[in-house]
Amino acid sequence: MTIGPDDMVVTGASGWGGDAGHSIRKRVGDEPSVWRRQEVSVRQTEQVASPPVGTSSRDVVDALLTACAGGDPASFTPVYDVLGPVAYGASLGVLRDPDHAAEVTQEVMVEVWQTAARFDATRGSARTWVATLARRRAVDRVRSEQARRDRDQRDTDLSTGLSARDVVVEDVERRLEGSAVRRCIEGLTPTQREAVVVAYYGGLTYREVAEQLGAALPTVKSRIRDGLNRLRDCLGVRHG
Amino acid sequence: MADETNGGVRSDLWDLLPGYALDALDDQDRRAVDRLLESDAAARRALDEYREVVASFAVETAPPAELRANVLERVLSTPQVSGQGAADVSGAPAQQDDRRAGPAASSDRGPTTGDAGNVVELAGRRRPRRWGLAVAAVAAIVVPTTIAVQATAERDRLREQGEIVSEMLADPEASILHGDVAGGGEASVLVADGDMLFRAEGLPEPDQGRAYQLWVVAEDGSVSSAGLLGLRDGGTTTSLVRGADGVGLAVSVEPEAGSEQPTTDPVVVLST
Repeated sequence: MTIGPDDMVVTGASGWGGDAGHSIRKRVGDEPSVWRRQEVSVRQTEQVASPPVGTSSRDVVDALLTACAGGDPASFTPVYDVLGPVAYGASLGVLRDPDHAAEVTQEVMVEVWQTAARFDATRGSARTWVATLARRRAVDRVRSEQARRDRDQRDTDLSTGLSARDVVVEDVERRLEGSAVRRCIEGLTPTQREAVVVAYYGGLTYREVAEQLGAALPTVKSRIRDGLNRLRDCLGVRHG
Repeated sequence: MADETNGGVRSDLWDLLPGYALDALDDQDRRAVDRLLESDAAARRALDEYREVVASFAVETAPPAELRANVLERVLSTPQVSGQGAADVSGAPAQQDDRRAGPAASSDRGPTTGDAGNVVELAGRRRPRRWGLAVAAVAAIVVPTTIAVQATAERDRLREQGEIVSEMLADPEASILHGDVAGGGEASVLVADGDMLFRAEGLPEPDQGRAYQLWVVAEDGSVSSAGLLGLRDGGTTTSLVRGADGVGLAVSVEPEAGSEQPTTDPVVVLST
């Protein structure tokens, strides 16, 4: 009962690890034989670069998560396989340290199993649900680590791996690579972009963002609000 | 502070929703927003949107391989909680008063997630109107029920579909086909042992009086209808075709009543 990458035969356009020869592109106006069977080679791929999570199979993933609320641990395996990378990616965004991110991912994925019945597909996708849970835990970890270090001023070296809460905006370009939001982030004003990016990757509160950017608190609030509104519109996110 | 009858305070609280989605609020602000969310369905919906935006920053990354066995082992010994719990990252799932209820189900957009679970039994696939009748039947059931019941029904349906899809995904022979749709959008189909899960997104609204129709493509190139496709937000549509004696699926734009056989060239063909 696994859907590990090795178990799947995948053909597809770029993005699912297949080469372009796998994709089927028919256009109106092609020759009349279009209704005949299309010859497509279906090959076993050794590795699926990224599972078809998120954009292409939201309903499938939502249904998998909903199904595992029925109490069968075996039904959680496919959920782990498709949503584990979401939890790990979201954790890594905040924590940067692979070991910390792995610990958070483990906690989050057990929580996903434990609370699967609370997932409500009418309010958002399974992917968003898991990313939200993971980010929250990652931010909690950053803050408790920060609090611990604030208490112990001598322990300010880099040994924890959670040292750098300052976000270098230039570094973000690389980390955004592959994220759905990448093409939209360019549409923000520089100050909106800076505030959103610092809040997201730093796991910072509004107050901390204001301190780091040397801006007034209300200014930071409105920059983040306006920034997220623009991203929402660019991404086409619209509920109800 | 929490007096939400004051318009200014209310508006200030709404301004905190992006920060709530980013986990960027201090405790006091977060509690104030929690109270807003309990009472205001529109605020919950706005939060859901912001959460989706924030989640779009996450870049899916394969976790360390050893994590898998650890998690699956812990799952074996971890009991699940029921869905009635209050502390939920999604807010208050039991209070779905913000969802459009029954009457909307008969509109062209269909129930909010109900059409995620459309299952077309192919016994009747040569009757193109079957799809429309099935949707009408769902609407008739939904209208007089409470919203809580509707949410439960949707969940049951998703769960049932999830079990089917789970089996499909577990099939080592399963394949996924993916292609662009002429005119806009992308489509994919998961094929496993006669069952096919079709999904498309980014489809433009068809012209007035036209509709997307799904077809099962047989080995010999013949096609039979698997019903009309209803579009949801973002031009997404999903259909689970069970027991299909076919090698793939195709979509064409047809008169809105559906056609016995395709009358136009397909906008996409996905076939093994």
